[in-house]
Amino acid sequence: MSANGGTATHGPMARVPIQYAGRQFGDLATQLILEFRRSTATDILLKYNDSLVRSIIREQRDLERAAADPLLGAPEGTPPPPGLIIIHTAINRNKRCLLAYHSHRVERFSDMYWAVGGALPHILSTPDIRSKLSAHRVDYLRQYHDSVMEYRADLGANELDIMAGIERPIKDLNVLVKVVKDCGVIQTELGSIDFKKGQRFMVRRADIEHLITQGYLEEIV
Amino acid sequence: MADWDEEYDRTFGAGQSAVASGSAAPANPFLERIRDAARDVDDIDIDELMAPAGVQAGVFDLGDSSAQRESPIQQLIRHWMNERHAPDILPIQEQLLASILDHIRRQSEAVQLIRSDPGASQEEHFRIVLVQTEIERIKFIVRSYLRTRLFKIEKYARYIVSNVDIQTRISASERTYASKQARILDNHFWVTVLQSLPEAQSHLDDTPIFMPPMVTEPDKSRAVFVHALKQCPPVILPDGSSLEMAKDHISLVPFSAVENLILREEVELV
Repeated sequence: MSANGGTATHGPMARVPIQYAGRQFGDLATQLILEFRRSTATDILLKYNDSLVRSIIREQRDLERAAADPLLGAPEGTPPPPGLIIIHTAINRNKRCLLAYHSHRVERFSDMYWAVGGALPHILSTPDIRSKLSAHRVDYLRQYHDSVMEYRADLGANELDIMAGIERPIKDLNVLVKVVKDCGVIQTELGSIDFKKGQRFMVRRADIEHLITQGYLEEIV
Repeated sequence: MADWDEEYDRTFGAGQSAVASGSAAPANPFLERIRDAARDVDDIDIDELMAPAGVQAGVFDLGDSSAQRESPIQQLIRHWMNERHAPDILPIQEQLLASILDHIRRQSEAVQLIRSDPGASQEEHFRIVLVQTEIERIKFIVRSYLRTRLFKIEKYARYIVSNVDIQTRISASERTYASKQARILDNHFWVTVLQSLPEAQSHLDDTPIFMPPMVTEPDKSRAVFVHALKQCPPVILPDGSSLEMAKDHISLVPFSAVENLILREEVELV
């Protein structure tokens, strides 16, 4: 991929823009889709590919200009010339790919959000994750969090915490945990406990489940 | 439920010696005592949560007096499984959920009361643990049920906002959630992609030919396993043939074919 490839349409090439800068329409978008397929297959969140997204947006603008070319305009009442149809198809496809890429990332972040039990500060303070988030995504996550919290409040969080894990049903009321990271004083059914690294406790699962999902405590089985 | 019963029986063995109950029936003395005692100790009624179908008379009877009567928990489990297997969003069971949540709250209060009572016997404490565990397990199902719905609502948010029919199937807070989701997703697409595109392309509701629509809709043609709870009227399959299911018949069919049977509670998804 050449970052400046998209600018090559100025000049005579703009007239017949089926192919330019050695690329076909939609090549860049295919790369983008490939990237998110890879990310899904390996279950790794890749860094946001800003430069590729920008190149595609540039391609879109070029295509738009090419479509407006008067030479491609058909007289009233005749079907649009094939060239125009190809350009429009390319425009639609690129746009679809862009949106698919972004919606894929949004889904991944939602998954991540639920995996840590909705602990937004926890996500935002993890440097590895934070570095992969764009400012827009942080905004998105904040709004997402607000909307989930509103739903949770409607439900009445006292009886049922919607954020707690749903991966496997509970077998025991209590759980033996090892403290992996200091997490300060936590209120539990047995009074408040100061969790210090290396200690072990037998505690009520419901009280500390969120600490397990956030990686402060580890369950000993 | 089955493995809970086993656990229960196992603990019963240990419980018998600890509690040294002499007088009760020989078969399952401790179990009997819990069942009997449940009514006089405040509000703890394990039975009600655990009773098999038919045993329990209708505290939660929601009007299904025909064949067998399901306990609220069995209903919840059925709706939960249906929801998890169905590609579309099924009608929310608000009444059932409300009664179960109420029940959970009453049980938790009773548990708190007995816990704080210094006079409570060892046996009562033992019972509390059982009740608490059961409460947690039921909460798990409720949670999973609601989260499954949230997941679908999130996925189909834009579709829900524009579809009145589906809005009648979700609760008020779910509707709020759906419209918020749709809005923040639109907003996100706008700031990341659409605002940079030329004016003519910056809309989300294109309907280009040869392409699926932009708005994600539930795929009702997806195949589901369906288990007939009773004799069902024939349904028409997409190829035009009809399928009539007898009780306990299990089939793999497209969701759209059995949608109405699910709504009428004549089948369940498995």
